[in-house]
Amino acid sequence: MSAADLAALAPILILALGSAAVLLTGAWWPRCAPLLWGGAAIALAAAFTAALYSPPTLEIAGFFRSDGYGRFFTVLWSAVAALTLMTSLRYAEERHFEGGEYAALILFGAAGMALLSASVSFVGLFLGLEAFTLVLYILIAFHREDPLGAEAGLKYLVMGAVATGFLAFGIALLYTASGTFRIAEAMTALGAGAEMRPVAMAGMAMFLTAVGFKVSLVPFHLWTPDVYQGAPAPVAGLLSTGSKGAVFAALVTMWGGLEVGRDLLEPLLWALSAITMLVGTFCALRQENLKRLLAYSSVVHMGYVLIGLLAGGADGNGAVVFYLVAYTVVNLGAFGIIASFSREGGEPQNFEDFRGLGYRHPLRCGTMAVFLFSLAGVPPTAGFIGKFGIFYAAVGSGYILLALLGVLASLVSLYYYLRVIIVMFMSDIAAFPLHRGTFSEKAAVGLCLLATLWLGVLPGALLDLITRIL
Amino acid sequence: MATIIFYILAMTALAATGMCITRRNPVHAVIYLVNSLFAVALIFYLLGAPLVAAWEVIIYAGAVMVLFLFIIMMLELAPTEQPQGAGWRRWAPVLLFSLIILGCTVALMAVDPDAAEGVPTYYASPRIFGYTLFQEYALAVQIVSFQLLYAAVGAYYVGRTPRRRQEAG
Repeated sequence: MSAADLAALAPILILALGSAAVLLTGAWWPRCAPLLWGGAAIALAAAFTAALYSPPTLEIAGFFRSDGYGRFFTVLWSAVAALTLMTSLRYAEERHFEGGEYAALILFGAAGMALLSASVSFVGLFLGLEAFTLVLYILIAFHREDPLGAEAGLKYLVMGAVATGFLAFGIALLYTASGTFRIAEAMTALGAGAEMRPVAMAGMAMFLTAVGFKVSLVPFHLWTPDVYQGAPAPVAGLLSTGSKGAVFAALVTMWGGLEVGRDLLEPLLWALSAITMLVGTFCALRQENLKRLLAYSSVVHMGYVLIGLLAGGADGNGAVVFYLVAYTVVNLGAFGIIASFSREGGEPQNFEDFRGLGYRHPLRCGTMAVFLFSLAGVPPTAGFIGKFGIFYAAVGSGYILLALLGVLASLVSLYYYLRVIIVMFMSDIAAFPLHRGTFSEKAAVGLCLLATLWLGVLPGALLDLITRIL
Repeated sequence: MATIIFYILAMTALAATGMCITRRNPVHAVIYLVNSLFAVALIFYLLGAPLVAAWEVIIYAGAVMVLFLFIIMMLELAPTEQPQGAGWRRWAPVLLFSLIILGCTVALMAVDPDAAEGVPTYYASPRIFGYTLFQEYALAVQIVSFQLLYAAVGAYYVGRTPRRRQEAG
């Protein structure tokens, strides 16, 4: 660890030390709202530091990259943490959460996500992944009086622990085959002529199992709907965006076009992507609960992202990164709206709760409709540009069938997204009026809406930035 | 010699782990796991990593397993009804595994006390290990420390009675 390394770590240090500071403050001064605002300010400070300060080194201790790519995701996940804290303000206060613990956990989770996105070594990857998974175990069960939350937390903990076991075994086998933790060099053990190729392949299979669990690819997706349903809405937002996006960000570094071992990995990833889109779509059709619907929708979206990863190259990787940003913004907004509707008794989740709600709360229901259209990929939203980029890259790399499957899944997805909109706007008013929402919630959701439309209409700036950092 | 002992220990570890995951009584399962951990510790010793072997015994077989036992006792998870079947069938496997491990240890001490037959190039002295851990992997140690902090915070938070309920009760 040199001074240059420390300087490059500055945003992470702000997040981690800030989280410890918030935690300690909360012990002596247990006020929920100021602590959450403080946490959001720390997250924003980290985001600005990462965006504006260009560190002297490109790599930190051989574990993490501190070039444009790493900084880009540090900014993104810090902003996600800030928005999550903003949507949690009233939610946390009404449920008597301990503000210090809550804000500290979310800040450290963002640090873990940023580290994972920037990892260039399996050690860094494992540490980053475990950092935010550990935080999420606690955050999911944070509402102690909610039995569903406890159940969700336990489910995620047990399955997550098994996945961690797979990850550790996989990394150990890849290390055995290659003799190095550095991802780029370790991947050469997968090459056609490599001495210990079967060992490396077994390691990669275990690694893929763990990754499949974390980003909920079919057949490792079974936990997703239950955990989303039980988790507090702001935490579910963090779970569906940061925890999945960070894994994919690391995979982009790892595979970068899949030069070695492509012959064996390609059919596997192809099948995973196809089955994920199919099963996710069919399960989403039958949901009567908005949070479960969003869970299955996130499963389908991970299938799309996998297509982009498989396509690889500058086009594919750029499309993946853009898609991650678009998906993050939209999902964070959607869960933010659910949180803003929540009352002390609980959150509105079932379609029954939303019946005719568009007439009582037209602004937020309209915003929700925009988010759902973006998830379905309707222009002029960010989701459209994201999907266009993915399918364009897929066709360019010869994955015509996969692109076709993706387009079909998107078409079917219109059905289940439109169902929510129909329930909100085209049925008689039956739902009870929900909470009016507070300034911070509306501001956070408004920012997400702005980003969704901006990325949909003028995606050029972000696309240019992504081309430069890749 | 080292190869034979390795295979004996590997089989013991596998068999003990198999017994561990098939036992209904959690206390029995813990005892089998301790057996398995001892066997793995000896394998580490054979491979020229005495430091890791010592930790395997002190941390895993010692600290972690004792914590397991404490929790089983505190939560009263151990079954209370009398098990069926002859008594020796319950303790014979444990005794067998323990004797094998003891025998291997004695054999190692008699034949190869310095573990010289292992792979000397990979022999890591505590000093070298410490340098690697706290210089090359210093950042990793810091991140893990933070994780442990939040694990403790989380366990405390989830396990504690909420403040409101305390006041009401």
